[in-house]
Amino acid sequence: MSTQENSPLIEQIQHVLAAALRLSEDAVSPALEFGDVPQWDSLGHMEVMMELEQNFGIEINADTIATLISIPAIHDYIIMNKQNG
Amino acid sequence: MGNDMIKQPFTIKSQVTIPDHLIKEVQSKFAYVDEYIANATILPDGNTIELELRSEINKQEKNNLEEKIQRVVLSMVKGAYQPKVEILEDYLDKQVPYQSDPNIELLKRQEISQETPGVFTLGPLVTRLIEYFETRFVELADSFAAQPYRFPILIPARYLQRVNYFRAFPHSLSFATHLREDLDTIDHFSQHAGCDAHGNLTAAPDSFSPIQNLLSPAVCYHLYFALADQSLPEGKMIVTAVGNCFRYEAINLTSLERLWNFTMREVIFIGNKDFVLENREIARQRMQKVFQELELAYRVESANDPFFIGEFRKQAAFQSAFQLKFEIRASLPFKNSTLAVGSYNYHQDFFGRHLNISLPDGSPAHTGCVAFGLERMAYAFLAQYGFDPNQWPLCMKGLI
Repeated sequence: MSTQENSPLIEQIQHVLAAALRLSEDAVSPALEFGDVPQWDSLGHMEVMMELEQNFGIEINADTIATLISIPAIHDYIIMNKQNG
Repeated sequence: MGNDMIKQPFTIKSQVTIPDHLIKEVQSKFAYVDEYIANATILPDGNTIELELRSEINKQEKNNLEEKIQRVVLSMVKGAYQPKVEILEDYLDKQVPYQSDPNIELLKRQEISQETPGVFTLGPLVTRLIEYFETRFVELADSFAAQPYRFPILIPARYLQRVNYFRAFPHSLSFATHLREDLDTIDHFSQHAGCDAHGNLTAAPDSFSPIQNLLSPAVCYHLYFALADQSLPEGKMIVTAVGNCFRYEAINLTSLERLWNFTMREVIFIGNKDFVLENREIARQRMQKVFQELELAYRVESANDPFFIGEFRKQAAFQSAFQLKFEIRASLPFKNSTLAVGSYNYHQDFFGRHLNISLPDGSPAHTGCVAFGLERMAYAFLAQYGFDPNQWPLCMKGLI
């Protein structure tokens, strides 16, 4: 397991995704991707985007929605936007 | 009439400003807010909503109506993502000879005859145009060696439920039923059934069987349902079909622009992601040449489906972000507007997952389709080129 997978931020993201997708925390692995579980479909994806905005205070726009399709991608986006912010 | 009756038209101030990119979408949904509404317009300020009603209403009814209007606006606007608009082809500036409203001439020539809102009988000119455009779309299908299919007009409710259609598009559903298999019921109906002054069938609701089928809203769904719970042995398919589609649009039903019952020709791709996306793009490029030959003024741009209020914000944002839908929007010069005459669609693995259609490696199939509305195509052509065949593009000379 990489350092990133152990990071507190990854754990936070897992927690947010579990809530957004109504999954148990165990069902959300650190490398989970869009489509890996039936709940992370088109509607689920938009729930995830809204929860990420609320929980991490980041802005997600139409250009970004299609790129945030895995927990690692979400992690990198949050890091980058927190730094830029 | 009491003093508390609301005179019309009247205006409502929206609690939130409706952004420009959502004005048409929100306005179209007002058709389903209340049966009192005869017309609803959002003014360019994005805050003022003008309502015309079928009859006067009292204060309580007005409050109910206003509450529902505000609910629609909030649901569609609050937290909405600004769509990513991508234009793939732009020939909207092409000069075309006709600038008048084709409806006037179509009615004068008895080329269209309305049976009920959104349902028209078409005369020889419109029919010939549709048949011509059909040959061009079939040529596209042939260029892919697409296998021909024929699909029914009815579609089982249980099929649509399986792909969440009721949640996404409840407002546009059209239902089919029949009399219960009961001699007394059938006898009673045959003796007493009729239509009232509004055209409503006067028969006891319990004369009818529970609804198990609907009028089909799309062509390609039938193929996906036929392939449900199966593996595609060759891992890919290209199919074509033409069919009747039914989408109820209430007061938005307008001439041939927006029909309740219309015809679509589709070319459908099933396979892995690359196969579907590559073929969707090839279809677009081939059609670009056809539209050039037809000298059509049009644009191809990203779009979203008309999801109902509760689903709209999320589904539309998702479609836009992943560029799942591009519409062919033909110019309507007489109203300085455009009309979608076709679309290039990619559904990702939505149908593959929901209907358990798998590829040889066990993964869910991806699907996509290109679809052309035949009546709209004829209508847009007449709106741009009019009724004098001498003014028509070279490839269409001699058609009439």
